[in-house]
Amino acid sequence: MKKSLMLVLVCMLLLTACGASSNKNNNAASGNTAKAKEITIWAWDPAFNIAALEVAKAEYAKTNPDVKINIVEYAQNDIIQKLNTGLNSGTTKGLPNIVLIEDYRAQGFLQSYKDSFMDLSGSIKGTDFADYKSGPTSLDGKQYGVPFDSGVTGLYVRTDYLEQAGYKLADLQDIDWKQYIEIGKKVKETTGKALITLDPNDLGLIRMMIQSAGSWYLTEDGKTPNISNNEALKQAFEIYKGLTDSNVANVHSDWSQFVAALNSGAVASVPTGNWITPSIMAEASQSGKWGIAPLPTLPGNGDSVHASNLGGSSWYVMNVDGKETAADFMATTFGSNAEMYQKLLTDIGVIGTFKAASSGKAYSQASEFFGGQKTVSDFAAWTEQIPSVNYGIHTYAIEDILIVEMQNYLNGKAIDKVLGDAQAQAESQIK
Amino acid sequence: MKGVGEVKPVRSSLNIRRRNIWTGWSFILLSVVMIFIFYFYPMLQALIMSFQTGTGSNLEFTGLSNYQRLFDDNMFITAVTNTFIYLLVQVPVMILLALFISVLLNDSKLKFKGFFRTAIFLPCVTSLVAYSVVFKYLFAGDGLVNTLLLKLQLIDAPIGWITDPFWAKITIIIAITWRWTGYNMIFYLSALQNIDVSIYEAARIDGASAPRQFFGITVPLLKPIILFTSITSTIGTLQLFDEVMNITKGGPGNATLTISQYIYNLSFKYSADFGYAATVSYSIVIMIVLLSFLQFKVAGDKNG
Repeated sequence: MKKSLMLVLVCMLLLTACGASSNKNNNAASGNTAKAKEITIWAWDPAFNIAALEVAKAEYAKTNPDVKINIVEYAQNDIIQKLNTGLNSGTTKGLPNIVLIEDYRAQGFLQSYKDSFMDLSGSIKGTDFADYKSGPTSLDGKQYGVPFDSGVTGLYVRTDYLEQAGYKLADLQDIDWKQYIEIGKKVKETTGKALITLDPNDLGLIRMMIQSAGSWYLTEDGKTPNISNNEALKQAFEIYKGLTDSNVANVHSDWSQFVAALNSGAVASVPTGNWITPSIMAEASQSGKWGIAPLPTLPGNGDSVHASNLGGSSWYVMNVDGKETAADFMATTFGSNAEMYQKLLTDIGVIGTFKAASSGKAYSQASEFFGGQKTVSDFAAWTEQIPSVNYGIHTYAIEDILIVEMQNYLNGKAIDKVLGDAQAQAESQIK
Repeated sequence: MKGVGEVKPVRSSLNIRRRNIWTGWSFILLSVVMIFIFYFYPMLQALIMSFQTGTGSNLEFTGLSNYQRLFDDNMFITAVTNTFIYLLVQVPVMILLALFISVLLNDSKLKFKGFFRTAIFLPCVTSLVAYSVVFKYLFAGDGLVNTLLLKLQLIDAPIGWITDPFWAKITIIIAITWRWTGYNMIFYLSALQNIDVSIYEAARIDGASAPRQFFGITVPLLKPIILFTSITSTIGTLQLFDEVMNITKGGPGNATLTISQYIYNLSFKYSADFGYAATVSYSIVIMIVLLSFLQFKVAGDKNG
């Protein structure tokens, strides 16, 4: 009895020991392969980011045929979870060599996990990229991220609806948000279509408006909430209420409904990031009916320009085995290859933020879908005007507070009280 | 001789007992070790973490500050309020509904019993995420529910099932009721099988009406099961996450935010505040302990 028991226990010990040792072997093997030039990259969105990576991979293979590049697609939320749990547990096993991070979240990762990301100052120059990208991608004067997707915004409009209401695309070139609402009322009157579609859970519109005036939820230091005395934010709130009060807004609750509203012709315009272009063009029957105007400005705000940013993301190299190869891959493709950006643009529609690329000829092509407009060169020009702000690390935490206060405001609470309460809450939340 | 004869069996029985204890332990040893490693150790770590603050890996001990923060955190209070609204509205509705259906289905004269039982139990084998996504589309602004109600002329304008704070809560309640009623019904059905038919016969002879039988016989005899289901439902509701995450994402304006989703937001949506997230999860532990204790006191056996 006892002997057999001992046997079982010994077997179990051996088994676990085997498990452990085989693990060790695996690690050693993966460590070796990393040095033997194999790198892994995590990104989301197969039609956009992954497709761009494939182009870069092919480009890199021309000069480095022995490097194996694994591209892994995860949803953005999954990447955030995996990175957070991986980095927080202190083990770098299972983490990729390169990861795509949204600009609003970049500082959160860089500051929360110091030393986990590789300083790329030696391989790429931050000044080669659009200026507003330096805020999210650098920390303490060191360049960590390779700026990528621009997220430059424009006002996409249905030119056919506009014409019915007596306007032309040219009439939208230099307007503010108040005039935009006025045009919307006219459009609604004549066509019955909503001017814009809003998701009560998403304040992207507010983000665009305040960044156009060089302002953010936090002050320049990226830490102090800047809500109650923020003139741009106050104006943005007022415009938002103006949109709902004048009954020109459609309401949607998620991405697929958002895109459906555009493709079905239910709304006459959408102010958003240029990454919406493929989704709009997906409805081929609307070819020639769309145009893109510059973003309206905040009325009476001298700082507000006709350009802003929404979303956008950049590449980060992690401080794990194989980082030299990863950094080299980034530096020779997204970090310097202007020719590759032409291909990214024509094949996938990616508007990068690499300055030297914007003079290429792909950038001056006219788009048939958008009525022959040279949309890309317009976007490239607006990219240069985007005011630089420090997103800090609390964008989404503050936004959740503001979403609630926005509902209160729409229900009649006074604006100063709304922003004051949000300020107080943000201060207690962010410590 | 006599003395030795008395001692010997005692010694050997001691041996047997010791050996039995060892055999017993050796059977469960592995599970015990595993439970300690994968349950108790993380729980302890989470408790330690709940005394730390900071983003990501920059954690430092700050004593009870996280627990103090709970009390002036409006978002936490919103999450707790929402969760308790679900609890107070949904759990009683669901338990009554499950009881009612199970009594109907227990009727010996009912035909196609198996079909009805399966049909009502079926929702709770569906995947949480899959059914949430389906509900999101059913209750969308131009979804099936609104279309039907409009066609039947019960409403004039589409209801904002997901975009209106009040209706969003209702949508969540409808969703979890649909998902879990059949699950509770199964417990009642099996308990009903154990009630002697002769009790009902006697009641009928005495002239007791059907409602009287239900409240006078069925409910009291099912009391232990009702207690069990209400405690498990309470725990389930306090941990509600999938439905809210997938149908409304906590919106509009945190109107459907639950405590579990707040923990998720603190850890992954905001700036990775794991310390405070651990504190919030311990607040759920405390609430579950208190509520279960309360339910035992109110509904449990006096001597139990």
